[in-house]
Amino acid sequence: MECISHKLEIEKTFTNVRALSFNEKKSPLLDKERINSFLDAILDFKSLLKEKTDKLNHINERIEKLTWFNDLDDECLMLINDLISAAKDLQSTLIRQYVSMNFLRKKGVVKDEIKEFKNSIDELKEAYEDLESVFFFLPEFPDFIETTKQLSLV
Amino acid sequence: MKFFCLEDFKVEFEKLISKKAYSTLEQDLINYFFGKSAQELCSGTRLNNSDKTPYIKKRLKGSGGYRFYFLLILKDESLYFMFSHPKIGPMGGINITDESKAYLYKKILRCIKTNDLYKLENLNRKIIFRKVKKVKS
Repeated sequence: MECISHKLEIEKTFTNVRALSFNEKKSPLLDKERINSFLDAILDFKSLLKEKTDKLNHINERIEKLTWFNDLDDECLMLINDLISAAKDLQSTLIRQYVSMNFLRKKGVVKDEIKEFKNSIDELKEAYEDLESVFFFLPEFPDFIETTKQLSLV
Repeated sequence: MKFFCLEDFKVEFEKLISKKAYSTLEQDLINYFFGKSAQELCSGTRLNNSDKTPYIKKRLKGSGGYRFYFLLILKDESLYFMFSHPKIGPMGGINITDESKAYLYKKILRCIKTNDLYKLENLNRKIIFRKVKKVKS
């Protein structure tokens, strides 16, 4: 009796192994198709991040160029003030996005692109802070405008 | 182009290039500034609303690189380095305050008037500082 039950158990196990082996051969965990779609998703994410970084770098350059405009009237200064507020808002949104990528960064996935993205966010902050200094804060410093006048006579 | 600087710039620059983390600074400065016209150097953030004597903050090598503060006097083709600092590394830090920018601006005017400056020369890709003869104010 005991021998029969052993045989049954061996047969069942054999059937299980046989079925699993067959299925695994047909559909392995990391088949080519799945790996490709995983890699495609990483590439899509990389290119999305690069696109965001490029857009941001372009905006940063444009903000920097505004500091070369002369004699802006109040209407222009008000627009600049609005631009600074919008840039601050954009920077805080982007920092949240950057923080949400922490799990990828820690695993070293898309590391360089995330670093470039963070650099461009930092440059945005610097660009709007400089814009604010140039048009609103520095001209208010005692002797700042007078120094410019004196330098033009040197 | 003629290049000059405040003593503060010289002291800080020499301190920085003695550190391994900033060993490229000297070559970065030469590569960016030397061999360019004054007009070509009118790039960066202009701090003083002046076309003839722009006071410029220039970012070199992106957000983690260096910041240079300098004055250009276009009619003389002269550039005056006022301050520089790295953003990262052992001597890296946040950007200077508006108070410091205003202070440096007044200081460069005073030093130009009294010739209290150093002249920078590029000698075989090494920066040499020579004291300019000071005149009494």
